[in-house]
Amino acid sequence: MRSARAAGPFALALLTGCGFHPLPSGATVQSEELHAMWIVFFWTGLGVAIVIWGLIGWCVVRYRRTPADATFPPQFRRNNRMEVVYTGIPILMACGLFAITYAAERHVETIAPQQSVIVNVTGYQWSWRFDYPQLGFSIGGSPKTPPVFELPIGETTRVSMTSVDVDHSFWVPGFLFKRDAIPGLQNVFDWTPKKLGFYLGECGEFCGIGHAKMSFGVRVVSPSDFARWSATHRRVALAGTDAGSAR
Amino acid sequence: MSAIVATPLERDEREIRNGLLSWLATTDHKRIGILYIGTTTAFFFVAGMLALAMRTQLAQANLRFIGPQIYDQLFTLHGTAMIFLVIAPFGFGLGNYLVPLQIGAPDMAFPRLNAFSFWLFLFGGLTIFAGATTSSGAAADGWYAYAPLSTLKEGFGMGQDLWIVGVLLVSFSSILTAINFTTTIFIYRTPGMTMWRIPIFTWEMLATSLLVLMAFPLLTAVLILVLVDRHLGGHFFDPNLGGSPILYQHMFWFFGHPEVYVMILPYFGIVTEIIAVFSRKPVFGYTGLVLATFAIAGLAMGVWAHHMFTTGAVVDPFFAAVSFLIAVPTGVKFFNWIGTMWGGKLIFPTPMLFAIGFMLNFLIGGITGVMIAAPPIDFQARDSYFLVAHFHYTLGGGSLFALFAAIYFWFPKMFGIMLDDKLGKWNFWLLFVGFNLTFFPMHFLGVMGMVRRIYTYPDLPGWSLLNGIATFGASLQAIGVLVFIINVFLSFYARRVAGDNPWDAYSLEWATTSPPPELNFTKIPRIRSERPTFDMNHPEIARDTGR
Repeated sequence: MRSARAAGPFALALLTGCGFHPLPSGATVQSEELHAMWIVFFWTGLGVAIVIWGLIGWCVVRYRRTPADATFPPQFRRNNRMEVVYTGIPILMACGLFAITYAAERHVETIAPQQSVIVNVTGYQWSWRFDYPQLGFSIGGSPKTPPVFELPIGETTRVSMTSVDVDHSFWVPGFLFKRDAIPGLQNVFDWTPKKLGFYLGECGEFCGIGHAKMSFGVRVVSPSDFARWSATHRRVALAGTDAGSAR
Repeated sequence: MSAIVATPLERDEREIRNGLLSWLATTDHKRIGILYIGTTTAFFFVAGMLALAMRTQLAQANLRFIGPQIYDQLFTLHGTAMIFLVIAPFGFGLGNYLVPLQIGAPDMAFPRLNAFSFWLFLFGGLTIFAGATTSSGAAADGWYAYAPLSTLKEGFGMGQDLWIVGVLLVSFSSILTAINFTTTIFIYRTPGMTMWRIPIFTWEMLATSLLVLMAFPLLTAVLILVLVDRHLGGHFFDPNLGGSPILYQHMFWFFGHPEVYVMILPYFGIVTEIIAVFSRKPVFGYTGLVLATFAIAGLAMGVWAHHMFTTGAVVDPFFAAVSFLIAVPTGVKFFNWIGTMWGGKLIFPTPMLFAIGFMLNFLIGGITGVMIAAPPIDFQARDSYFLVAHFHYTLGGGSLFALFAAIYFWFPKMFGIMLDDKLGKWNFWLLFVGFNLTFFPMHFLGVMGMVRRIYTYPDLPGWSLLNGIATFGASLQAIGVLVFIINVFLSFYARRVAGDNPWDAYSLEWATTSPPPELNFTKIPRIRSERPTFDMNHPEIARDTGR
């Protein structure tokens, strides 16, 4: 039963979540900047590639030699002005790209002073546990029944993450973001989802034989749905402890 | 150039010169070079077949051809072999063959150390593969073997230990070779061969050797720490006892990133020499190119943590900035190559095709390299198929294409016979088309969320199609390599005699016979520029560069 419930959203993700997007756009506020970075770097890279390929292509087409031609072309060795130009322009480009990168990364890494939700993520061989410490419940899973956790749309969630055994990496491709879960280290970042839906998550860092099956799901829901969902889980968690203490 | 007059040899003497024992006991840099090249090529075929098995498993979603136990060993051995046993040591092998010839030396500075390095390398490689014969299988945690995964004894058994010992042997071999190259290049140059007249390939080998000397000791150290953790109760990388997994990553990548340049600089040198010869012009911007090489080597020591952007434990902006800067000297090299071709008279035999293929492919790898040097992009691309595409474009489409260029270019020198040019062209086009079909789709797969090192993947829209194209491309590459093997055998059979200098090439190795005699030269031409053989053969346009 549980496995069927878990499989449902994954099947949905197949149909809707991961269409063919050569340039990804993300589903969180933080990923807007990431998406912009991809666009800037893609077009800059394509521009550079067209210039260099063009120059190589020009040489290959224009300067062919017929086998009969035994003469030598002018044997020039250098051109100082050209060398300054083709060193200087890339330096300027590197500086420009760095400026953009620096600004974008500061934005992505900013931690809001106030978060409405806190999720503590723990990676282990080979699944994930999601604790909601304010709400008093956890979501667990296994490679066969990947865990699915929910986030309210439009609200900032603080994700705090670690691992209990080996290095893992917590990756939601739909959010254009991953962060490693490393034993002995606490990694913290904010997510503010802006698009409803189900997003597939994976372990990014190779972590042993179960690595390929260490997936999870994130469902972005409306705040009222989130309240209902967390209330259900809270009730189950409380019932669990009550039953435990009664016994 | 006077040819060596061969005296008829008695059978016994021929045995001594060419028998099996003569190869096992040789200290001749040319034979050691050929041993390296033969061994690395053999490892290349094996590593390629491992990749083909992986691509077969990944051809479609949810295939059950190979399970994770085997698949994890496949990618570990494929990566380890390509990096430690093919791309880096082929450079050392070719350097072994060429560096003494190019600087007019009779041999390497330390011939016996040189032989020792080769045998360390060979047995290191065999030790790594020997893991596959143990009951728990070969190492299965990737070529960078992150601790604490690699220190878990319950996770990986004897195969992991053999892997560590094997890589240690290869690492020692590389350090000894680097010492040998550095000494040879500084001390053993023939009169007239000033530093500013040594060929670009030799310059690149010097920079490579300096990188090896700085980086490989760290690899040695970190592997020994892993052994201590595994067997002597150390806990360098065990966070529960005060160790640090991040320390492993720092130490490994402090070696690992310079290693990337160890795997590309010799190939830059190969391409530079080939492009100049087939453009019939000197290398454009020789001085700038040499300075760019050392700028790359210097910067390469300061970028290691760009492999760790997603750990949240490094200062991202610094490492991003230095990584962007590396694109500048690399770009300079591209303009050197274009400047060399500019206004030239180009012909396109197989080595030139591979050199141009190198430029076209490597450019893609270089550009995606700048992209993932930006942490915000790396947050998505790291450990995805985008990254797999990136480094295969640099090391496969780059280094390996230059490797083939080198074999086609210097084979006549090594064996005195030409490889077949028509088969060479088939070899090139099959590899070029196959390579791009294999790896270009991986950029999209990575961006769409396909993670690397998984033996199977869900049937998401487009994934099976793109993976299917990649697998088809891989089979084209396999046919291309097969054509290469056939070419080598047919050429040995056909024995088209090459002569001393079939390409009208520039550097000193072309001034002696093919193959060269035991101590390389009976006579060395006067050296007035970085092209001594060219100056000798074309005195009417020779020029004294006056350096």
